[in-house]
Parts: sequence; C-alpha cells; structure tokens
Amino acid sequence: MSTPDLTPRPEQSPKRQRRRIMPAVVLALVVVAGGVVITQALSTAVDYYCNVDEVGERSGCDTGRRLRIQGTVGEGTVVAATGATLFDIRFNGASMKVEYAGEPGGIFKECLPVVVHGVFDESSGMFLGDRVEVKHSEDYVAVNDDRLEEAEADSAACDSSA
Amino acid sequence: MTLDPPSTVSTTSRRGTATAATRAVGVLTIVMIGWLGVFGLLLSPADRDQGDAVRIMYVHVPSVWLAYLAFIVTALASAVHLFGKSHSMQADRVAGASAEIGVVFMAVTLVTGMLWGRITWGVYWQWDARLTTTALLFISYIGYLAVRGLEGSRSQRARRSAIVGLLAVLEVPLVHWSVKLWRSLHQEATVLGTDLDVSLDGLMLFSLFVGVVAFTLLFLWLLLHRSRVLTMIDLSAETGLDAALAQRRAEGGVTA
Amino acid sequence: MTDAGFILGSYAITFGSILIFTWRTIRSGRNLSDGMSDEEKPWL
Repeated sequence: MSTPDLTPRPEQSPKRQRRRIMPAVVLALVVVAGGVVITQALSTAVDYYCNVDEVGERSGCDTGRRLRIQGTVGEGTVVAATGATLFDIRFNGASMKVEYAGEPGGIFKECLPVVVHGVFDESSGMFLGDRVEVKHSEDYVAVNDDRLEEAEADSAACDSSA
Repeated sequence: MTLDPPSTVSTTSRRGTATAATRAVGVLTIVMIGWLGVFGLLLSPADRDQGDAVRIMYVHVPSVWLAYLAFIVTALASAVHLFGKSHSMQADRVAGASAEIGVVFMAVTLVTGMLWGRITWGVYWQWDARLTTTALLFISYIGYLAVRGLEGSRSQRARRSAIVGLLAVLEVPLVHWSVKLWRSLHQEATVLGTDLDVSLDGLMLFSLFVGVVAFTLLFLWLLLHRSRVLTMIDLSAETGLDAALAQRRAEGGVTA
Repeated sequence: MTDAGFILGSYAITFGSILIFTWRTIRSGRNLSDGMSDEEKPWL
C-alpha cells in the first residue's frame, strides 16, 4: 500500500476520449466540406464569364458554347412576352438581344447590370438565357434624393454603357 | 465524478470575468448597437435600386469586419506565441478566443448575405468568387478550432494551432480582393476599396460607420471575456489534475 | 418596407447570435470563477 495507484480510472477515461475524438471528427468533416465547396465552385463556374463586347472576340467567349454574359439592361428594351422576357444587354458600346425563359427575379429592371446564363442561338441571333442574376453595383444612392437628379443619373448610367 | 471545490477558496472570490474596464466597454457596446438598430432600420434611407434590402448591409458589413479583425488578431497572437521567447500561453488563449468570436460572426455574415442575395440577386447562394472564398474562410476557422482541441500536451496544441492560425489568415486578403481577382456577382468594396472615392450616401455611410464602431467595441468586450474564460479552463485543467493526484495519493495511503 | 421578413430576420439573426454568444460567455465565466480564488485570476 505504499505506492499510489496512478492508473487511469475506468469511469473517467471514456468521457476524456470522447472529448478528444470530437475535434478529429470535426476536422475530417472540415476537409470534406472544403473539398465539396471547391468542386462545387469549379464545376458551376465552367461557363465563361464574358462582357457583351467580348462575345466572339475574347478567347473562350465563343458563341458555340454556354456562356455567362454581363451587361446593362438597355433602357426601354424590356418586353414581357408569353412565358419569356425579351431585353437587350449592353456593355462598352456592344449590344445583344436576350430571350429569357421566364421572369427575372431579384431587383431586375432597366439600366441595372445583370449576368445572363445561357447559350447563343445562331439562327435568331438571340442569346437564350435560362438564368438571370442582378449584379448590384457598388454604388448606393438614397431613394429620397432629388428625383430629377436621380433620373439624370439613371439615364447617364444607361448612356455610358450603351 | 465531481470534485469538491478546494477548501482554499477565499471568501473574496468575485464572480465572473468582468472588470471595470469591460463593464465600460460593455455599456458603450450596448449603446452603439442600439444606435445601429435606430440608424439601420429607421433613420437611413432606402436605396434607389435595392430598396430596403440595403439595410441588411448595416449588419452584414460590420459582421464581416469583425470576423476579419478577429482572424487577424488570432494570427498576431499566434505569431507572439510561436516566435516570442516565452512562447506565451496567454497569447495562445487570446488567439483561440478571437477565432471563436470570428467563426460566430462569419456565420452571421454568411446568413445575412444569403438573405440579402435572395432579395437583390434573386438567389440565396451563388458559387461565385466572393461567396466561395468566404465559405472556405469560415470552414478553415472551424478547422482551426478543431485543431485546438486535438490530442496532445498543452504546449503541443498551442504550437500546432499557432501554425494553422498563421496560415489561415492568408485567406482574408484573398476573400477581400476576390471580387477584383475574379469576375464576380458580388459588388466590389464600397468603403474599403483601393480608391478613396466613397460612393455612398451620407446617412448610409454614417449607419455603416455606427455598425463598424459598435461591432469593434463588441469584439473587444467579447475578446476580454472569452480569453479570461479560456484562462480559467486551462487553470482548472491544471488544478483538476493536481486535485486528482492528491486524491489518488490519499486513497493509496500516501500523505503528500 | 418591402421584404420586411428578410430584413428584420437578418437583424434578428445578428442580434440574436450576439445575445446567445455573450450570454454563454458570461455564464461559463461565472461557473468557472466560482471555484477559484481571486489570486488565481490574472485579470484582477
């Protein structure tokens, strides 16, 4: 009875073990989740991201493949047809007609920059979009600013990109 | 299972982790968060294009600011631990506390950003450069916290996590400039951009400023309290071990 | 206010997370400090 018993106690060790195993499990999950995020991002970003003026010009922006095209919705060009929305997107002097199957969500409207996912239809010369995202610019303007000033700024924004 | 509290506990024991300084910071934080609610939801104007959705910015941007700040503090404290002569354990605890706070606010950033995206882009989530790198940053720091809890001696764990803390912070500039590096749906930085031309309405900018000040104070408060909690966890782990040893000796009939 | 649910929801999530995290921090600080004397608390 002279030496102290220093062996781990059976009722204490399972709890200690569980506490140490959890971080390893979490770490494994983190690695898996990171892999999923990267593969998801890479697989959904395969469509080339082109500005309107780069279509057919820049390498990768060929009309024979799926593209994501960025441009500003042309003023007065939005037409709601049956089951589709027609509009022009413009960027840096170039313009393109878009036929989007459905009604664009978000804050879609004239003069806002958008990204349209889809394919180019050679016969009609239209870009057939199946997804429209509103790309918000980094400009924030209060709604209660002078209305006239706002209208001017609005048309100026449209003019500059048209 | 539960050990009796050591009989040496003095009657002058003060509850909790507060000091006069943290109380002052706490009161200021509450006041500023109150103002954030008032400015963000009531006084600031709606945006011309986004409408009222712009109000989400006043919690989204300060949250991500706090998370960035927290991860930078983690990296700095990790460097102090790793390269300092004393390999300060206090620095390691500050790093851990800061990362915990950062992860919480990264989660808030992601959720509020998703709600904002649903209104303005029409989708909750996009695998675009900014969103993807932000998700990776969030996941990385969950990994960092897991590394902190891995098996090993206290100094081993501190050293390991310091290395991870220094590596993970490299993602922060990657996230911030991802909108410039890759074409992205996410707008570019409005306030912390490279040019100083801030394109933000006066009251909107002020609301954002209130949010950033409130969240910086909140970070300071949380960091002080959180690192004190971690100090006590380390202390109780040590004293717990001592107490257990003393108990075994007593059972074995050996008087220490 | 349009999309009020989303906007108020994002404020609720933010402030709610802050409250929960703060409360947990204070509570664990109190619980741990109960078994310690002031000499063991380096911040005092």
